[in-house]
Formats: sequence, structure tokens, C-alpha cells
Amino acid sequence: MIKKILIIGLLAGVGLIFFDLFNAYQGSEVLGKTGRYYAENGADEVGAANLVTAVIVTYRGLDTLGEVTILFLTAAIISFVLKFRREDFIPNRPVRITSELLDSASQVIVPVIFMVGIYIFINGHLTPGGGFQGGAVIASGVLLMIMANPNFGISHKVIAKVESISGIAFVLIGIMGIFLAGGFLDNRLLGLGNLGELFSAGVIPIIYTFIGLKVGAELSNILGTISHAQNEKN
Amino acid sequence: MEYIIISTGFALALLGLWGILSQKNLIKIILGFTIFNTGINIVMVSIGYVRGKAAPILDVIKPSEAADKIVDPLPQALVLTAIVIGLGVTALMLVYALNLHREKNSLDINSFKDLKW
Amino acid sequence: MVGPIYIIAVALGIAFIMGLFGKSLKNFTGWAMLAGLGFMTYVSGQWLLEFLNNNRAVETIYTAGFKPPYSINLQMGSYEALLTFLINVVGLLGGIYLYKDLKKTGTNAMVVFLVFIMSLNVVVMTRDMFNLFVFLEVGSIATAGLILLDKNGNALQAGMKYLIATGIIAGILLIGTIFAYYFAGSLNIDDILAANLGAAKATVIAVFLIYVSILLELKPFPANGWGIDVYTAANPGIGALVSAASATAMFYVLYKLLPLGGAEWLNYIAVIGGITFVGSNLMGTKQNNPNRLLGYSSIGQIGLLTMILGLSDILGEKLVFVAFGILISHYAAKAGLFWLSGIIKAKDIKGWAALRKSPFLLFLFGTFVFALIGFPPFPSFFGKWELIMTLATGGHWAWMTVILVGSFIEGIYLFRWLGYAIKLDHEELPDFKIEWNKFFPVWVMAIVLYAVGVYVTPMVEGGSFINYIPLMFVLFLFAIDFLPVYIKNTVSIGGIIWYMFHIYPVLEGDLLRLIFAGIFLIGGVLTLMAGYSKKGTRKGFYPMAMMMFAGLIGIIEASTLLEFFFSWELMTAGSYFLIIRGKRSMPHGYSYMLFSIAGAYAILFGFGLAFASGFDTSLAALGSISLLPTLAYTLLAVGFMTKTASLGLHIWLPGAHGEAESDVSPMVSAILLKAGVFGLMILFLYMDRASTGATNLLYVLGWVGALTTLMGNMSAAFQEDAKRLLAYSSVAQLGYILFAISIMTQLGWLAGFTYTINHFMFKAVLFLVIGGIVVKLGTHNMYEMGGMIKKMPFSFVAVLISIIVIGGIPPLSGFAGKWLFYNAILEKGWYFQGAIIFFAGIIAFLYLYKLIHSVFLGQLKDNHRNMKEISAWILIPSYVMIIGIMIFSAFPQYILKPIGNMIAPYFSSEALSWEGTKALTSFGYWDGTTVMIVVGTAFVLLLGWLVALSSKAKKIEQFNIVFAAERPHRPETTHVSYNIYAGYQKALGFLITPFVTAFWDAMSNLVLEVANWLRRIYSGSMQNYALHVVLFIVVFYLIALGGL
Repeated sequence: MIKKILIIGLLAGVGLIFFDLFNAYQGSEVLGKTGRYYAENGADEVGAANLVTAVIVTYRGLDTLGEVTILFLTAAIISFVLKFRREDFIPNRPVRITSELLDSASQVIVPVIFMVGIYIFINGHLTPGGGFQGGAVIASGVLLMIMANPNFGISHKVIAKVESISGIAFVLIGIMGIFLAGGFLDNRLLGLGNLGELFSAGVIPIIYTFIGLKVGAELSNILGTISHAQNEKN
Repeated sequence: MEYIIISTGFALALLGLWGILSQKNLIKIILGFTIFNTGINIVMVSIGYVRGKAAPILDVIKPSEAADKIVDPLPQALVLTAIVIGLGVTALMLVYALNLHREKNSLDINSFKDLKW
Repeated sequence: MVGPIYIIAVALGIAFIMGLFGKSLKNFTGWAMLAGLGFMTYVSGQWLLEFLNNNRAVETIYTAGFKPPYSINLQMGSYEALLTFLINVVGLLGGIYLYKDLKKTGTNAMVVFLVFIMSLNVVVMTRDMFNLFVFLEVGSIATAGLILLDKNGNALQAGMKYLIATGIIAGILLIGTIFAYYFAGSLNIDDILAANLGAAKATVIAVFLIYVSILLELKPFPANGWGIDVYTAANPGIGALVSAASATAMFYVLYKLLPLGGAEWLNYIAVIGGITFVGSNLMGTKQNNPNRLLGYSSIGQIGLLTMILGLSDILGEKLVFVAFGILISHYAAKAGLFWLSGIIKAKDIKGWAALRKSPFLLFLFGTFVFALIGFPPFPSFFGKWELIMTLATGGHWAWMTVILVGSFIEGIYLFRWLGYAIKLDHEELPDFKIEWNKFFPVWVMAIVLYAVGVYVTPMVEGGSFINYIPLMFVLFLFAIDFLPVYIKNTVSIGGIIWYMFHIYPVLEGDLLRLIFAGIFLIGGVLTLMAGYSKKGTRKGFYPMAMMMFAGLIGIIEASTLLEFFFSWELMTAGSYFLIIRGKRSMPHGYSYMLFSIAGAYAILFGFGLAFASGFDTSLAALGSISLLPTLAYTLLAVGFMTKTASLGLHIWLPGAHGEAESDVSPMVSAILLKAGVFGLMILFLYMDRASTGATNLLYVLGWVGALTTLMGNMSAAFQEDAKRLLAYSSVAQLGYILFAISIMTQLGWLAGFTYTINHFMFKAVLFLVIGGIVVKLGTHNMYEMGGMIKKMPFSFVAVLISIIVIGGIPPLSGFAGKWLFYNAILEKGWYFQGAIIFFAGIIAFLYLYKLIHSVFLGQLKDNHRNMKEISAWILIPSYVMIIGIMIFSAFPQYILKPIGNMIAPYFSSEALSWEGTKALTSFGYWDGTTVMIVVGTAFVLLLGWLVALSSKAKKIEQFNIVFAAERPHRPETTHVSYNIYAGYQKALGFLITPFVTAFWDAMSNLVLEVANWLRRIYSGSMQNYALHVVLFIVVFYLIALGGL
């Protein structure tokens, strides 16, 4: 009881902080300094029609590298945390029979999902979307496959290869930026091309492709590991 | 408009916090977390909003007039990063919960008090 | 130069490559991880060297080829280089340490480890607020993973708590960051700092949110249960990294963001740090789990560092030195201790007794504990010194008190732990393996501590004067510790004798110092000689003994406050190790240490006041204390009195001296106690005697001295243990000295000097001889001795002469002391105190009689029938001392006259004059030489007469007496010495009810109870810990911005 009152009191306190923040918030009529810079120079400097992508991949590429690292770490941690002894592994655990709908749908839809995912990350510099979104869409296809067949085994080896090679490629492109352009993760290794075309914005499409593959692989890896973990004897 | 959105964000964050502090089931606490994060993400997006402006994609908008026509792209970029980070943390929490469940066969938060003082 | 960006690029590249080949090439990944860590260390190391050697500008790294604030920039300046280097070194060593554990868990764990260290580098280098957030999250997730390196239920729970708490904190930081962006229009830290967000009412909330989340990451008390559990449950190798690397990085983040809000926020930071420092250490006092204890200590140290940052306005340019000194000590010591904990694998600190199996590890353990508490020559000593001096300069007494109290509390548990390791009786010592990869990193950290300590010494004001030659000698003795006793003994004695020749010209003309130098050095040689009677190697004895003597002589040589304090601490450390060597010395060594630390901090506080009064670093500053002079004098006096064991502060002495080894007892009793006397004399000579404060203080000290004497003598009389009897006698004698010098007249001081010299000589003799006998007979109990006069005639004569001195019986110098003493009392008019002293003097005869009678006279015990005289190596130094006593008795004028002349300028009236060998006062005269001749002649005549008569005496065998038919149940109770003064005890025993001991016991219980009660907040529930975090945020908000 006392705890409940305390929690309510604390939430009221946090609410007060939020309320003060809300009062401090005035909305905006015009772009701030940084936003204005991106709006004015983003197209010329980076060449990506999608300015959010320009910020994510180039201006704040280091954040994105960190972001990729986080997924990479999470996948790595999950696989060593959920590692179990081989003798505890049951290859085919009894599962509920998959409904006809799910089973057929997975076979029809999954390739489409993968295609959509790839489309999203390849066009990340032009339209809303990008590597993370595309990767997540791909992983959702994998999730559908797992749900349709819980004993479906993903090849961790292949996934690990995709993951690592994409990661190495990302870092290497970043380093090449130091030598060939203005700095680590500079996208002007390649010509910026014409704004709005698929082959434009320097290396952004390439980076986003690797990110898409990497994110897709990592998320699939996580899903696979968690699903796998349920094949363990209790 | 933006006031409604930002206050929704604060409300969601508060709701998530309530879940974290009061729920007994570990999974619900983790859900509280995702709600908390979502709320914060909404707050972030609304910070970048500029009244009456469009998304920062230069397909119809010409680059020369972009500065007067688009909202701030930066907070949107930050939100994307924050979402991915939140995803990583949530996945990790779920795996922890899975293992804790294996350990004690319970998801009640009060059954994990072995370390104290 | 390799650019700092490669730290990120190469670490991540290697991490990804490890993922690619990890499954197929197991060995490759291990080496790849170490190579990555090595590379990072190399990059930051070369930058550090560059900044140290060349005065180059800060290097800014622009990513993506654009300028901030539009892109993220990193910064590599001298601080960044230093901190990343520290992080990478501990990362590399930690990687080596954990190599096998990581390998067992697999490639993924190594990847996580490498990325973890990389993320901390970015956290230090980044100048972008959001980038900071991202890499803090990378670090948090990596930590959450590494916690599970040891898969156990506790680690899982700890990791979950960690995730929940850091999740909330990250959310708060995110809100703060986005609002900082909203208000400042930039995410660049320099822009945000320049925007001065603390100034406006609306924008200050962003400042608050950023501060509170960074502070929460530093685990402030009490919202830190989640952090402590990590330390408790994780592999100690991970604990080491969290404590040394993560905390270092977070500390730097706070430093970066310090100017965010303006001056008033600094106060909050300082207060939170101070609460954490004291509170966390208080929690530590009830801990028995080594990892959890280290966790509390870590959080406490980080609290101290947070507080230092909060005080940055006050510290000014000293900030960096102070913070560095304390940070590096914490860093190296904590990493080392966690790693040691991983080697020993004990669940309870008592299990650390196992360390005794490996003296070298024990040495490392001691190094770390002393470094944490801030003993010389470690960097924390200098850091703390500068901190206190600077705070004193600004008049911040409260902060000084918080720091010293917190440090003391930390000492409470660290020294208990060290004591357990050195001395605890432990039936089964757990076995542990020492693998080179675990041993090597610990060793490196110890070297770091010593090297950095010596390196920073000259950076302290007055530090370049510190004389490291004696410490080099100590080091040398460590190096030859494997040699047999007689070699090391000879080397040590040689060293002291060499130092005598070295120091004599330095001190010539300064009689006060010369006398004490004589006591310390001659005493050192003589007591060391007794060491020749020992066999074997006596591991560890000589370095520690020499450290004590180095400290003692350092006090004499000191011309500055810093040198004095440095030597004082050195002496304390050395003597602690000497004292705790005794068989049952653990609790006594512990209480000695606690009193010593408390005393040292009192002195430090007093020195601070002295320094701040006139910015004078020399000892003469004591003479011109204008800030709170009474408090300063009192603190200094109390500090010195912890060493002289005056009433109230004496409870450590009887045990410590009584249980020490036979040749350590004279060292610590006859010699070490005089350090306190020297300190008091210096203080009394310098201080402004005319002030009311000083007069009152002297008056109080006079009473303390008198009562100490009474208590000491009575307690001695009721002892059954011969060495404890002598120990209590020391307490009483020091009481005389304190009383005498508190009189503050020339006569009083002459009496004080006489007592000091006498006590030095006779107590050395007594402890040497009685100690030798105790070892020989195998018992401390006097009623189990008897009849030793025939077996040990030389010992008997030595003890007899000493007793005559103590008793103050003519013709020996004890009488000279008494005569001066009563003259001084009469002159001063302290009649009540004088009466007590007089009464105490009578009681002294009781214990003196008991000592000589029970040991030497009476019946010889059956099991002692074949006893021989004690070792000549004990008798020789004793007789040298006795010759000294005789000379001093017969020709006191050669010493007392110069002393009188020396101290005369300090006192208004010259009360003592000399006519040849005759000393004159207004009350009468005394002539040592004549008395000696007269009494000596009478003695010889009487002795001759007795010898002449002896032919008529009838010889009686020992058993030629009538026995009762029965043997009593406990035969010893019939011994005349057993409870010999039961009657007196009944009548007067109430006077020595151990109420002082009871008082200190109650105090320590109080502290422990408070700690026990407070630590209930750590209920173990992860939800409660989340609650604490939110509570901290809300309360801080209401206090800081509640009026908004």
C-alpha cells in the first residue's frame, strides 16, 4: 500500500518534470540552425534526396556505426547467453500444428517480404526507409517462416557470414572515407550523381545495402536463437 | 497539433514508467519499457516538427527552397537510432527474462531477490 | 601518428572479422581480441606521449568530412589521451586476465569484450551529445552481456537489474539530450555548453535531465543497488573493468559536461558525491563478501571523485592534480583488488587468509589497500593532501570533514580485511591456483601505483623535498627478503648507522631534533641487534621495520608540513605491519591502524588550517595559525596523542605492544611512541601559547596526562601478563611526559625530556629482556614464572636497574626526572594534578614489585629447571642501554644543561641553573654526580657487608618447606603473584573500569548498526532499485528546481 502511494507520488513527480518540459516547449515556426544547414546543404553535400538518410548515414554516420554495433552486440550476447549443451538439444520439439493459412501464406509471402525489404534499403536515400527498416522487414519474413515451422533451422553459419562481411564492409568504407574523401564515413567516395536517382548520394546506397543485410541477418539471428532455445530439454 | 503529440509522448512515457514500477510480471515490465521508449521517441519526433512543413525528402521539394518547406531531419534520424537501440535493449531484456524463467520457473519480479545488502 | 578514429575502426573491424572466422579458428579470435586491445592501447599511448613531450594543440577528429555541429566530432587532447590510455591498458590487462574465461564462453564473448572497451574510448573522446548517448548504450549492453560471463542465477538477476536501471537512465538522458538540442539548436557538446542553458528557467530542465542521468550512471548513494549487485555477481574480472574502466569513462563524461549548468549546479554535484562517498563506505563496513565490499568501495571512490568535480570552482587549477591522484589510485587499486578476488575465489573476506600462502600476493594486496586509503607514496596521498590544503585555503571546513570522515570509514573495512588476510586464524585455507595470466595484470597495477606515486611527487608544492633514499633502502630490503636473518639484520643496522653519519651534520645545532634522532636511530640499532637471536628468513620484517624507521627519521628531518605528514604516514604503515606480526595481534593491529588513521586525519586537518593561515608550506606555519587556532591546536594534539596513547586514545596500545614479537615491542614502545612526543613538542613550541585556546588546551592536556598516568599504572598493577604490564606502564610513562610538557615551563620541559630519554632506555631494556624471557618460557603469565634470578642473573640485574629508574629512586636518572617534575608542578601550581601524579607514582611500585618478584624471585617452576640465560643478542643491547642510564644518571648536566639552554628562549623565566654538577631551582638543589657517588659508595659498603656475612647464612633447598597434604585444584591460584592485588582491585578497581574501551566499542557498534539499518534499502528487488532511481530523479528535481 505504502509502495503504491510512493509510486503514485513518484509518477506525479516525473509528471511534474514532464509538465515543466511541456511548458518549456513552444513548438517551432522555422528550422533551427542545424536543421536549416541540412536543408540548405544536404542535397549538395551528400546528394541524398532523403535528408534523414543523409543525416543517418553520412553526417551522423558514427552514430549509425554505433547503432549497428548495438545490434551486433545484442546478437552476440544472446547467442552466448542462450548457448546450451548439445546433448540438451531436441531436433524436433513437438509443436502445435501450423494452420493451413499460415503455412501457405509463409511460402507465398516470404519472398515478397524479402523483396520489399531489399527495395526499402536500396532506395533508402530516396524514399522513406533505409537499411534498418529494410533489415527489419527481412527479419519479419524470417519470423514468419519460424512461426510457420518452429523447427525450421536457420543456418547460423550463413547468417554469421553475412553479418560479419557487411560489418567489415561498413567499416572499410568508413576508413576509405579518411583517405579518399573528407573523413571517416564520408560518403563522397563515389560521385554524388543526380539528386533523386538510384545511383546517387555517393556510397550511401552501398552502405545502406550492407546495413540492411546486416540488420536483417542480426535480427534473424536473434529470432532464430530464441526460437532455438526452446528446443532445449528442461 | 504538435502539443497534442508531445503530450501524448510524455503520457506514454509516464505510462511505461508506471508499468516498470508497479507490474510484477517481468514480461509486463519489459513491455512497460518499450512503452516508455516509444513515448520518448514520440517526444523526440515532435521536437523536430516545424509548423506546417513537410517531411524532409527532396522529391517534390526543390533543394533550393527546402529550408522553408521541410521539418528538421535531425530528430527523425535520432529517433531511428534510438528505436534500434531500444530494440537491442528489449531483445536483451527478453533473453534475460527467458533465462531467469529457466532458473526459477517464475516471472514474478519478487522471486529474484537473492542478492541484497 | 595513428589517428584516434582508428581506435573505433580497427576495434570494430576486428570484431566483425572475429565473427567471420570465429567459428572455424578458435585460437585466432583470442589473439585477434588481444591484438585489437593492444592496438587501441598503442594508439592512445602514442597520443599520450605526444601530449606529454610536445606541447601540441588538441586534435579534433571530424567524421564524415563535415564540421560540427553538423557532423559528429571527436577530440583527442591530453586528458582524452590519458583516460583512453588508462581504459585501454586496463582493457588489455583485463583481456589477458579473462583470456581463458572468455575463450570458454566463445568468440561472441570476446567480441563483446573488445567492443566494450572501444565504446568507452568513444565515450571519452566524443564531443557530441547524442553520440555520447549511443556509445553509452553500447557500453551498457556490452556490460549487461559480460555480466553473464559467469553463468549463474545471481549474475542473471544482477544483469536484469542493471538493464532496468540503465534503461530508465538512458530514457532520461535521451529526453535531456533532445531538449538540449531544442534549446541550443545543436547537439555538439561545446555548442550546448556555450548556450548557457542553466541561465533561463525554461531551458534549465534540460540541464537537470542531463546532469541527473550522468550522475545516476556514476551510481550515487542510495540509488545504486543495481550497480552494487553487478559488482557482487559478475566475474571479478568484469568487476575490475566496470570499476576501473567504465567508472573512469563516466567520470570524464561528468567532467566534460561540468560547465553545462553553471556554478550552483556544482554544489549539487558536490553534495551528491559527498553523500555517496560517506554513505557507500558506511555500507561497506558491514560487508563480508569481497566483491560486494569492493563494489561499495568503488562507488565510494567515484563519489569522492564526483565531489571533487563538484568542488572544481574551489579547487581551481589544482583540480586536475587532485582528481588524477585519486582517480589513478582508485583505478589501479580497484582493478588489482578485483583481479585478486578472482584469483582467490573466496566468498567471504575471511577466506583471504589464504593469501598468506603467497607472500608476494599479500604484498600486492597491502599495496592496494594502502593506496586506496591514501598512504604515501601513492598518488592518492598527494591528491588528498592537495585537496585538503586547497579546501582549507578556501575555508571549506565542512567539505574537509566529509572527505576525512569518509576516508576513515573506508579504512574501517579495508584494514579489517587486510588484517584478516595477514593474521586471521583460519583452520582450512582455501586453495587457489596462480596462473600467470591472472597474476601478471595484478602485478602491473601495483607497479603503476608506485611509479605514478613517485612520478607525481615533485608536482606537489614542496613535494620535491621528499627524500626517497630511505624508501629505496626499503625496496632494496624487499629485494633481498629471501636471505637469512643475520644478513638482512646486518644490512639494516648498517643502513641506520650510515644514516646517522649522513644526518648528524644536517641536524647539528638543533638539539631537539638531535635528541629524537638519537632515540630513533640509536634505539633502532640496539633493538635490531636483538634480531640476531632469530632464525630463518623472517619474511617481511626488515622492509617494514626500515619503513617505520624511515618514517621516524623523516619526521625529524621534515622542514615542511608535507614532508612531516608523508613521513608520519610512512611510519604508521611500517609500524602497523610490525605490530600485526605478533601471534594474536590481529585485533590490536586493527585498532592501532584505526586510531592512527583517525589521528593522521586530525593532523591533516590541522595542517590544512596551518597552511591556509599564511600559505606557508614549512613547519613554521604551525606558529602562525590564524584560522580557528584552537581547533587546529586541538586536532594536532589529538592526532599526536593517538601515537602517545593518552587516556581515551590508548586502548590499542596494551594489546599492540603486549602481543607484538619480542624485539618489536621495544621498537614500538621505547621508540615509536616518541614520535608522538616529538609531534607534541613541535606543536607546543610553535603554537601561540598566550592565546586562550592554547592555554585551555594545555590545561586539559595536563589533566589528561595526569589521569593517563593514574590509569596506566593501576592497570599495570592488575596485569597477569608481563608484556601487557609493561605496555600499560608505557601508557603511564607517556602520561607523565604529556603532563610535564603541558606545564609549559622550562622545568616542565626538562622533566619531559628526562622522562623521554629515561623511558626510551628503560623500556627498551625491559621489553627486550622480558620479551626474551617470555619467548624462552613460552608464557606471558607471570604467575607461571618464578625463581629466574639464578637462571638468568644478567636479565635480573637489567630489570632491577630499569625498575629503579621507573620508580624514581636515587641515584638513577628516574629520580632526576621526578625531582624536576615536582619542582615544575610546584612552580606551576597544578596541585590537584600533582597529587594524582604522586598517587600514581606510589601505585607504580606495586607493579614494579610484581614484575621483579614474580619473574625472578619466588619458586622456580619444575618445567623451567633447565632454563638458561636469554640470548646474548638481547642482553648486549640491554646493557648498552644500562650503561647509557648510568651515564645519564651520573652526569645529567651534559644533556640537561644544553637542553635547558635550548628551550630557555621559549620560556619567560629560566628556572633552573647549574653550578658545576649541581642543579638549582627556587625549591632546592640536586646533584646527580654526588648522589651517585654517595649512594654508590653506600651500596658497595652494604654489598660488601652482606657478602661478608653470607658465610654464616644457611643454605635452604627449594623444597625444604612444609607442604600441605593436598594439591589445590588450580595450583596457580595459590601463587603469590596470582591476583596479587585483589584487595586493591576491590577498593580502587572502579577507577579503571574500562569505560574508554566500552565507549569506543559503543561507537563502533553504533556505526555498524547505522550501516546495517541503512543497507536495508538494498532489498534485492529490481523493482525497488528502479524505484530508487526514479526517486533520486524526483527528489533531486524538487530540491534543485522545485520552485519552478
